[in-house]
Amino acid sequence: MKPAPFAYAAAQSVDEALALLSEGGEEARPLAGGQSLVPMLNFRLARPALLVDLNPVDELAGIAVPEDQSLRIGAMTRQASLLRSAVVGRRWPLLTQAVAHVGHAATRSRGTIGGSVAHADPKAELPVALTALDARFRVRSRERGARTLAAAEFFAGPFTTALRDDELLVAIEVPAPPRHTRMAFAEYARTHGDFAVAGVAVVVAPGGHAALALLGADAVPVRAHAAERALRDGAAAPEVARLAAAGVADDHRRALISALTERALRTLSS
Amino acid sequence: MIGASLRRREDARMLRGETRYLDDISEAGMAHAAFVRSPFAHAAIESISVPEAAEGLVAVITAADLGDAVRPFPVMEPRGAEVATAEAHPVLATGQVRYVGQPVALVIAHSRALAEDAAELVEVEYEPRPVVTSPRDSDLTLMRWHRRAGDVEAAFAAAAHVVTGRYALPRLVAAPMEPRGCIASHDAAADLLTVFCSAQDTHRPLEHLAHILDRPPSAIRVIVPDVGGAFGSKGVIAPEVAAVAAAALRLGIGVKWAEDRLENLVTGSQGRGIEGELELALDDEGRMLGLRARLRSDLGGYLLTTTPLPPHTAATLIAGCYDIGVADVEVVGARTHKVPIGPYRGAGRPDAAYMLESLVDEAARQTGIDRVTLRRRNLIRTFPHTTPTGLEYDSGDFERCLDLALELAGDEAQASDAGHARGTGIAVYVERAGGAFESAAIELLPGGRFTIASSSSPHGQGHDTTWAQIAADRLGVELDAIELRFGDSAGAPPGVGTFGSRSVAMAGSAVALAAEQLVERGRELAAEVGIDADDALNWTALAQAADAPLRAEATFRSANVFSSGAYAAGVRIDRATGVLTVERLVAVDDAGTLINPLLVHGQVIGGAVQALGQCLSEEAVYDEDGQMRSGSFLEYGLLTAADIPPIVTGEVQTPSPLNPLGAKGAGEGGAVGALAAVANAVTDALGGKYVSPPFTAEKLWRALREVDEAAGPR
Repeated sequence: MKPAPFAYAAAQSVDEALALLSEGGEEARPLAGGQSLVPMLNFRLARPALLVDLNPVDELAGIAVPEDQSLRIGAMTRQASLLRSAVVGRRWPLLTQAVAHVGHAATRSRGTIGGSVAHADPKAELPVALTALDARFRVRSRERGARTLAAAEFFAGPFTTALRDDELLVAIEVPAPPRHTRMAFAEYARTHGDFAVAGVAVVVAPGGHAALALLGADAVPVRAHAAERALRDGAAAPEVARLAAAGVADDHRRALISALTERALRTLSS
Repeated sequence: MIGASLRRREDARMLRGETRYLDDISEAGMAHAAFVRSPFAHAAIESISVPEAAEGLVAVITAADLGDAVRPFPVMEPRGAEVATAEAHPVLATGQVRYVGQPVALVIAHSRALAEDAAELVEVEYEPRPVVTSPRDSDLTLMRWHRRAGDVEAAFAAAAHVVTGRYALPRLVAAPMEPRGCIASHDAAADLLTVFCSAQDTHRPLEHLAHILDRPPSAIRVIVPDVGGAFGSKGVIAPEVAAVAAAALRLGIGVKWAEDRLENLVTGSQGRGIEGELELALDDEGRMLGLRARLRSDLGGYLLTTTPLPPHTAATLIAGCYDIGVADVEVVGARTHKVPIGPYRGAGRPDAAYMLESLVDEAARQTGIDRVTLRRRNLIRTFPHTTPTGLEYDSGDFERCLDLALELAGDEAQASDAGHARGTGIAVYVERAGGAFESAAIELLPGGRFTIASSSSPHGQGHDTTWAQIAADRLGVELDAIELRFGDSAGAPPGVGTFGSRSVAMAGSAVALAAEQLVERGRELAAEVGIDADDALNWTALAQAADAPLRAEATFRSANVFSSGAYAAGVRIDRATGVLTVERLVAVDDAGTLINPLLVHGQVIGGAVQALGQCLSEEAVYDEDGQMRSGSFLEYGLLTAADIPPIVTGEVQTPSPLNPLGAKGAGEGGAVGALAAVANAVTDALGGKYVSPPFTAEKLWRALREVDEAAGPR
């Protein structure tokens, strides 16, 4: 389990990282916290010619709340920092709840939000929570400049995103939740810290806002639109849960998603 | 000192990071090994093409290069068993491969990374052959053992009830925290092969290497450094160790193989992998009249040295704690195209207890006799007891274990409700421990200090503290006057090894005997030189008075001793999802006289946690092509600390009459009792419907639906 030979370059800035990725083309891969990429390198499943290390790029890390009261999470923000963030816990508790399920304390201290999102594991928690929060994904490239994608655009398939070879996910922007928004995350994993088999992220706000995103229903995070409509119309939890799970092909997974939806609705926090 | 719950004195060194595991050791000029492994479960090797040069490459070695320099593994033949010894595991593949990951070529380079790079350049042409993954489809029996006792037909003909059951346990991996590895080097001048090996002891690696390399044991030195867990999987050397030793002899340089997690998960010997059909004959009051058992074990592609042992142990223990004089028991070990099985914590004991205790619960359901009453009515109460399978239980108090487990479990069982199906389970077990021999050599040093060389070496059990407690008790000195030496075949007294819950009973008894002999010598010397020895011996004065260092060496030998216990579990299954929660687990073990109850407690918890892993999530999964689908910790469901329910322990101490300490063994009881008790609780929650472990949410959800459908509308 030693990686195949590769070249290594430590980027000191986003511009330098973008230049390295642009020059490296499809043979270059950015290295964030390394909690997924490094095992894949060691298994020799990933064999990039060049690793662009983002760890020295300070401008990519950090959690900020700009004037519009939205949340801006730098791509290199460690999962542990998100878990510890007081403002996130207060205003976006869904993220705090979801990231607590990501791996273990040791892996969270190294693993990053951007890395987890860009890896796009269909069993990962953060992409689903961010999907429920209508997060937007800020990406940049040297040639193409910057663009901002919605979750439905960003997550293209299992382990696949809309990111092009020369593009880098630089930040995730989460809109300010309306006052008195309540959120909850529930999942089932075989063992503590394992990737989830199924999961549900729910966001409900007074005045007719409801979002419900599913993990394990499809190869990408999906919004359960019929369930969201029912939730807005004041349907009871069992009915919302039934609608959320209705489109899931596998019967046991359908049962899991239904039960987790009910549990999440019961535990909605303000 | 004996009976004191002392903390492990070896822990300070470990917590400070002062331990030296295999991969911490380096030798000047040492090269590194990686293996070219079979990607097929079954194939003929048509050709192997080796790169002429690669960066840092030292050598590529195949079976053809080794030729007659190595022999296949020695294979143990359990008493009374037929064993196909010709199917012994080869060091490197010779013409064919029989499991994914089998070592085909050894690549040696200046670093492990370079060795892995060069291994990709070795081209092997395979001709795939049909793959057998189920022992039921096997065309070759590697091992068979059969025993009849009494008139089985008459017992079944006279029975008021005949209860049958079919049970299966999938394979598991041992997953020690430190994977396997070795460093081999050859001193040509002395013709001494030195092998550092992450192993359970020095004796068996030395014996296996002597056989495989056809070298006198005196020309081999085995050193076992600190070992980060083994659970049975490091008792036999890996084929890779033999290949590296042969390469070191051939090349004249030191070679290290420190395997990675992928190698360990896919190619380390696996445990369990057994299924059985059992029949129990009972009279109308529930007395057990006779037992039939047909066990089938999934042994894998070849026999490693101890591959035949776990199924044999399962078969011999199949009558459990019950007074059944009449039995017909057969076990067949079938060849499949998977990595060989080997001992893994319990090594057949959990398999036997699981199947028998499942059957006894089934008997309780079918006869309408309460499951505790049914057990009580049949428990063995007099010792020694000879089983129909030929074992002799030395001692025990099975009913006291059962009583204590029931008492600790209490009467809090909650009923099932709309949300959850609840169940409780009880299981009793008996397990074989001890046997054969171990030795200890003790020496008095100046200042009244002592060194003890033990034949047994530790890999997490706490030998250093426990042995010191035994010696301190016999010598009448403080613990810190005693220094233990383990793990070097040069200097270790003769022994067999650390396995099968045997170390305290055997090696601990040897320490006690050696210390007692030293006390005798001390008294003789005291009388000779006129030192007062009415009370405690003045060892400092004796050390000064002695012309030559005072020494004693003792070997302790005995028949097997038998530990036992009773476990109780309470579980709930979420009806909506099938998710299983083990709400409580009670563990009562009788390991004879306890030297250090705290360390025994740790052993029980550790074993029980491994059993919970088998219950909840662990399974070595293979597809129909023989590819392992659980070859990383992403797929293999190893439990974490957060997944462990509260475990209540209790102890019964029935001293063994077979050794001076009265000790039995505690290393495996948790793994034996917990599996059977939790499994019975799950079956109880499912209203008697059998599901094989692991009890995944999906399996239990489907089982509950079938139970509900069979019951009709509620």
